[in-house]
Amino acid sequence: MASNPYSFGETDQVLVEEKSSARIFTLNRPKQLNAVSFQMVSRLLDLFLACEEDPSVKLIILKGKGRAFSAGGDVTAVVRDITQGNWRLGANFFGREFILNYVMATYSKPQVSILNGIVMGGGAGVSIHGSFRVATENSLFAMPETALGLFPDVGASYFLSRLPGFFGEYVGLTGARLDGAEMLACGLATHFVPSNKISLLEDALCKADSNDPAVISATISELSLVPNLKEKSDCHRLNIINKCFSRRTVEEIISALEREAADKEDEWISSTIQSLKKASPTSLKISLRSIREGRLQGIGKCLVREYRMVCTVMRGEISKDFFEGCRAILLDKDKNPKWEPSRLEQVTEDMVDCYFSKINEEGWEDLDLPRRSNIPPCAIAKL
Amino acid sequence: MEKVNFRTQILNGHLQNHRHATSTAAIISASPCVSYVPPEVSEQPFSFDVSSMRKLMDGHNLGERDWLFNLMVQSKLFNPRLRGGKVFVVPDYNHSMEQQREITMKRIEYLLDHGVFKGWLTGKGPEAEMKKFALLEVIEIFDHSLAIKIGVHFFLWGGAIQFFGTKRHHDRWLSATENYLIKGCFAMTELGHGSNVRGIETTATYEANTGEFVINTPCETAQKYWIGGAANHATHTIVFSQLNIDGNNQGVHAFITQIRDENGNVCPNIRIADCGHKIGLNGVDNGRIWFDNVRIPRENLLNSVADVSPDGKYLSAIKDPDQRFAAFLAPLTSGRVTIAASAVYSAKISLAIAIRYALTRRAFSITANGPEVLLLDYPSHQRRLLPLLAKTYAMSFASNYLKLLYVKRSPQLIKTIHVVSSAFKATLTWHNMRTLQECREACGGQGLKTENRIGQLKGEYDVQSTFEGDNNVLMQQVSKALLAEYVAAKKRNKPFKELGLEHINRSCPVIPAQLTSSMLRSTQFQNDIFCLRERDLLNRFAAEVSQYQAQGESKESAFVVSYQVAEDLGKAFSDRAILQIAIEAENNVTDASIKNILGLLRSMYVLVTLEEDAAFLRYGYLSTDNAAAVRKEVAKLCSEIRPQALALVSTFGIPDAFLSPIAFDWVAANSWSTVEN
Repeated sequence: MASNPYSFGETDQVLVEEKSSARIFTLNRPKQLNAVSFQMVSRLLDLFLACEEDPSVKLIILKGKGRAFSAGGDVTAVVRDITQGNWRLGANFFGREFILNYVMATYSKPQVSILNGIVMGGGAGVSIHGSFRVATENSLFAMPETALGLFPDVGASYFLSRLPGFFGEYVGLTGARLDGAEMLACGLATHFVPSNKISLLEDALCKADSNDPAVISATISELSLVPNLKEKSDCHRLNIINKCFSRRTVEEIISALEREAADKEDEWISSTIQSLKKASPTSLKISLRSIREGRLQGIGKCLVREYRMVCTVMRGEISKDFFEGCRAILLDKDKNPKWEPSRLEQVTEDMVDCYFSKINEEGWEDLDLPRRSNIPPCAIAKL
Repeated sequence: MEKVNFRTQILNGHLQNHRHATSTAAIISASPCVSYVPPEVSEQPFSFDVSSMRKLMDGHNLGERDWLFNLMVQSKLFNPRLRGGKVFVVPDYNHSMEQQREITMKRIEYLLDHGVFKGWLTGKGPEAEMKKFALLEVIEIFDHSLAIKIGVHFFLWGGAIQFFGTKRHHDRWLSATENYLIKGCFAMTELGHGSNVRGIETTATYEANTGEFVINTPCETAQKYWIGGAANHATHTIVFSQLNIDGNNQGVHAFITQIRDENGNVCPNIRIADCGHKIGLNGVDNGRIWFDNVRIPRENLLNSVADVSPDGKYLSAIKDPDQRFAAFLAPLTSGRVTIAASAVYSAKISLAIAIRYALTRRAFSITANGPEVLLLDYPSHQRRLLPLLAKTYAMSFASNYLKLLYVKRSPQLIKTIHVVSSAFKATLTWHNMRTLQECREACGGQGLKTENRIGQLKGEYDVQSTFEGDNNVLMQQVSKALLAEYVAAKKRNKPFKELGLEHINRSCPVIPAQLTSSMLRSTQFQNDIFCLRERDLLNRFAAEVSQYQAQGESKESAFVVSYQVAEDLGKAFSDRAILQIAIEAENNVTDASIKNILGLLRSMYVLVTLEEDAAFLRYGYLSTDNAAAVRKEVAKLCSEIRPQALALVSTFGIPDAFLSPIAFDWVAANSWSTVEN
């Protein structure tokens, strides 16, 4: 353990405040919308592990500086690393990040994440696994990976699959955006607190001086309210989402949506179909299977599987969509990725299988998760 | 004083937050207040890849299985309940019989709406059939009633239309059945006749002037009994009747009869009564049916085997009534295949629960002030559960083999399928019942709780040993079939070439006088001793039957009195067939760590069979010295398999939600805070 785990330099990507028994960690890359970098992940991991051992710490508050909580993993850096060197550098990043996700999911002390802004991809990974997620009217959640040629990672196959009905498949495959009210309604957020009360909330939490989840929950509840869902909210669409997104394959999901569209003109259905058609076919197929397997697994198994998947994605042997997606969306910004394979039916079952298998390469190993003594029962599944 | 200290320690434990103690290891061993430690944390890391092993165990259609598990977990209809921080889906068996039947029907509608049954009757080929089997197995893991109600509709009613019917029946009924536009049942068994189908008393009389059959229940013992679906929901039935034409009985034939109208009202001249509450399977509406001269059109005869012309001529390509009858019974084979497979999954559920519990529950310390010992660290507890685990592995391979054999069926294979499916149905269902009882006891009082599944499964699965062929009757048929092979081979002086009896053509294996540990674990020895038993028992059975016949007994009564050897022989056939399938499965594995554990399990399967079946000592295949060596080796194998126990039940493809609270944090599941008040 470092002699002073809370020490930090000026350029530190995570700011640390000590307030009585609470620790407030602030993601500090506002210009990059707090994109989760290797450095940030490493720092957070050290901090979380140190705080777990430190009996004087009872509560962790995690928030973002600026208008985002975190817009996701720093994929451009990863892609740069991979194209310059080899994919192992990328694997290193994801491995670290997933271990952080795992530590958070199995953490023995309450973690309150204040999601006052954008929460996407890797940003969801460092918050949703924690015990309390506070949304505000500024919250904007999405898992946009399928449009990037990736798949919902950071343990998303665990938390998306546990949303009501087949809402997780919907959110994970289409990259649908949810606001704070919707996050609360579907369970991604545990509370909704108006943003003007956030500083009051922080004070109250620090004053609470407790590690008892019931006390923390009651403290947040005092400032929280139940917002109205907007009229056109996806949460009102649960019936049709369940009907279509429960289908066995991506192809069947799309044809179920198309059948619905044939029955009636509906902007939501056509835009849902649109986003599926724009996403990487390979990404869609591996994402669906990942969520389906995730529903039957514990968080550890989910992360081990996602690590196999992300390494296969980075190796680019089956598809290079991740690089193409990053080029089209993040670098060239032409928003016109050329996916390969370009059609769903070209992505065979065997190709999908490869993403879920061990990687046959010298020196590669499955993600080695730290052994945790207090895994919550819901986090362990055997398969 | 000791007591006072103990109390203080407990109070301390309550007051202090355990998580802040310096060492987690200390909490586990020294805390006097028993705490739950997940086996994933306390057990060694797995020595083989669990997902590869799952592929071997489930064998096929893993994606479809997981999809269906997902469908059930995500629906409120499947009664999700939060216990100890985890969601479990299991039917509410505290519901009344009526409630269980209604919710079962609602679950079927949900599965139908989500396309689970797509292609179950209209799909063609082995792949479609294997997928159907996989999905049915998943449904069985949730609830046996649900699976049986679906099985009756698709496999019995639907299967009868498929196999006994011709194009006109297929066109009219298959797609309608697949979409539940009608609900089918299968009226074969009567109050007076079960396994002996040829003795049923219901009649179907042809009237040439109207072109109709008249179906009638002539007496009380002819009432159709145990007809799944008949009591509440079925609209149509296949009714098995003695066909009478011009006063001549042509034997048992199958007819389609409507029993309810589209509004669910019972049709005229049909009487239906309930079979009432049962020891299990109360989600299935078993009923009784009486037919009061019900008239049905001539076309309702399922006429693939035999037909009646409009002017009342009986037409059949199969002249021999015995063979004709055998052709009628063919669809029951698919029932036996699914029963055998589901028995294995039921055993897997109970073993996964009992072993996970035994890895977290402690009882008694064996050193002064030492921690209490984990149940599974007692060799006696290992001996109770691990041999059953090993058998379940072997039988898992056997059930996958049987399914493949069935879907690749051809006229040449009919006999093999009949014999193997009979033997495996009996062996696997008996194994399941035995496993359930042992696992129930191994969980102590917790095994009594319905929410923990095992006890309830005993009631739910007990029926398997008698339906679709009474196990004892099936095993006698196996022995008879073996004897027929024997007689045929001897008569024509030709080698055995079917049913796996080829080993009898070789010279008789010799068992070494002193068996060492490595011999006991060799496939050579294991195969030899199982083959020796089968061959010797077949000789003895043949000799006994022919001796009785020489004394003037009929062939049938000779069989009846030779039941003891017949029973031993049936078991010998089944065990040997299972072993050979397990060896082959093991040989096909390339991964060394999986091969290694499969080898241990196979040895356990064989040696525990040697230990338990008295035939090995009775007929001298094992000397008493060797029997002692076997017993010693079983104990050794227990201790070698013990470290892998968690991994071995983690490969069963059963999601946590389908196990039970005692398989996980049973302290949290039972804490005061969860008490509803």
